[in-house]
Amino acid sequence: MSGKDGTETPVIAETSRTLEDGNCESDKNSESVDHSAMPESESELAASTGRRPEVKPSSDLETSKVQETVSKEETQTGWGYWGSWGKSLLSSASATVATVGQGISSVIEKAESSLGIPSPSEISSEVKVAAAETNTRENEDSSLGAGPFGVFSTISTAVQSTGKSVIAGGLDALEFIGKKTMDVIAEGDPGFKRTKGLMNRNATLSQVLREAKEKEELWTSNEVTMETDKNTHYGLLFDEFQGLSHLEALEMLSQESEIKVRSVLNSLSGDELETLKLELEQLKEAFSLAEFCDEEEEEKKGDEDFTKEVTELFSQLHVSTKPEKLTRARNTAYEWIKAVPAKTLAENKEEEKQLEGGNTEEVSKNSIEDIHAFAIRSLAELTACSIELFHKTAALVLHGQRQNVTAIERSQTLSQVTVVLCKELSFLSREFTTSLTTVGVKEKTDSLNPLITAVFLEASNSASYIQDAFQLLLPVLELSLIENRTESPTHELQVQKPLAQQ
Amino acid sequence: MTYAYLFKYIIIGDTGVGKSCLLLQFTDKRFQPVHDLTIGVEFGARMVNIDGKQIKLQIWDTAGQESFRSITRSYYRGAAGALLVYDITRRETFNHLTSWLEDARQHSSSNMVIMLIGNKSDLESRRDVKREEGEAFAREHGLIFMETSAKTACNVEEAFINTAKEIYRKIQQGLFDVHNEANGIKIGPQQSIATSAGPGACPRNSRDTGSDSGCC
Repeated sequence: MSGKDGTETPVIAETSRTLEDGNCESDKNSESVDHSAMPESESELAASTGRRPEVKPSSDLETSKVQETVSKEETQTGWGYWGSWGKSLLSSASATVATVGQGISSVIEKAESSLGIPSPSEISSEVKVAAAETNTRENEDSSLGAGPFGVFSTISTAVQSTGKSVIAGGLDALEFIGKKTMDVIAEGDPGFKRTKGLMNRNATLSQVLREAKEKEELWTSNEVTMETDKNTHYGLLFDEFQGLSHLEALEMLSQESEIKVRSVLNSLSGDELETLKLELEQLKEAFSLAEFCDEEEEEKKGDEDFTKEVTELFSQLHVSTKPEKLTRARNTAYEWIKAVPAKTLAENKEEEKQLEGGNTEEVSKNSIEDIHAFAIRSLAELTACSIELFHKTAALVLHGQRQNVTAIERSQTLSQVTVVLCKELSFLSREFTTSLTTVGVKEKTDSLNPLITAVFLEASNSASYIQDAFQLLLPVLELSLIENRTESPTHELQVQKPLAQQ
Repeated sequence: MTYAYLFKYIIIGDTGVGKSCLLLQFTDKRFQPVHDLTIGVEFGARMVNIDGKQIKLQIWDTAGQESFRSITRSYYRGAAGALLVYDITRRETFNHLTSWLEDARQHSSSNMVIMLIGNKSDLESRRDVKREEGEAFAREHGLIFMETSAKTACNVEEAFINTAKEIYRKIQQGLFDVHNEANGIKIGPQQSIATSAGPGACPRNSRDTGSDSGCC
């Protein structure tokens, strides 16, 4: 096996490495896995996902069982693996959407850095080996398919085989990875359909979400189940926090702006048109999402930092809306998490003393479900608040108040806001899953893992929604840019007055 | 939780007439004398019962400020009902009704049900617009009319519910195409399944589906 390690496709090598970061205590041996081959992209991946997976002890058991029969990289079936890597894939998939049209070379570059693929020349010699490996691995995968990790293993197959096609097919393969991943994930979790739907650009985001919500509504109305079940349906909660409405309103503003921009462009010609197009092009650049792998090897930031950061960014936007609702929701979530482990551990101990096993399971089971429900609720709330902020920003930008910032500056700030929000969501989801694994130590993986998956999935869904909502702001800022060129700056002063205070 | 229909409402009218207060009174049953200026649009939702059917009202509470006017027009699309609000203590808010009405008619479906509301009826001593004037304006333009007080909650329920009743009546008369979402009406999740269900999707619990849905 050691010989094989050297020739593995880097995708695999890298994922192993990433897991290892979180898993180092339990799995020191695997340190030798080929990370010397591409130290740069490794660290980049780790930074880009920013996810240090929390490996719960119970997964080690699972892991070691599988280890005997499957090749090394297949052993990483613990949640750590899925959590770190599945999400990085998701985020690179959505980043790809934003980047298409930016020039193939930059896309490929991005693909290489985010998927950890070295230059084509470097890899071409290895492709054959990888192909052979994939074949054997596929067989092994099928034996895993039925188990609780079925979803995971299918994904890994998809990616392993796409590992090759990325090199061969470039951009197409990237799209394929994105689609395939969504498909595969959706298979495992029908409620996830909406993200799959996002790949279909014919439907608007709010339609997709609405459908998902309706399905959930149907589901909950048909199932004669507990009240608590309703509390874990992301779509329903997202709607309850008015996320859908704000999204729909944002879409309306976006569409209307787009129509106006187009009509302006149609009315221009010659040099005038060219200069405007150039300016719009610059604006668009700000909307190709910044990499998520900023240098920050962020450790847990203080509670105030997020609040401060977002508030500062919003003040740079010069719109009279403040992210207080969002930061409040976020801080509430953190306070809740902080209170969890202490509380439930104490409860468990007490219970144990009194009852000697038996009922303790019942107690902790309630707790992990509580955490799960709260996690989903928080994610839905934060996402709804984020989209509300984007909607308000769009309204205020169109409202044409104070214009001492340019549309481009605003776009750049908004892009940063998007990054900060997505990071925050991923961080929060990690907090939740840590909490789940801590509290659910004694749980069977069968009951714990689906909850952890759900949290990770909804977190990456949330990030996609926020990124898509961000994209809806583009036509709005385009329109604002055009209007600023034509309007004299004296006009705005009277407009902002009544808004300033009441 | 489930509903037979969802109606989209918009609330429009000059700034400060009490649009957001009406919404708050309707959804939360409380009154807040000082309200932030609405930016763009805010939302509220509540379930009501019309003829034994659960109907979800999805309410878009728009900004009344003149400077937001061009933005709020974007939000009219796909509304089934509109509450056009003026303040009975400020005549100018009444005088602006024609322009609001033009906007509403121009940017939404022709079938949209419009309820004219003279708000702040608790401030009788400061009344500036007679009740009869409101009634006359409504009659002239084919609107429903009510005077309300968001503060005392007088007629607030009725204003929202009567609008829903009128929409529901139009649906039953076949004036609204409920399958066209541009009309601001959506069939609830259980109903839609009756027309587009796959096997096994038929709801077991058909309590809310009503007699005319033909489900199951």
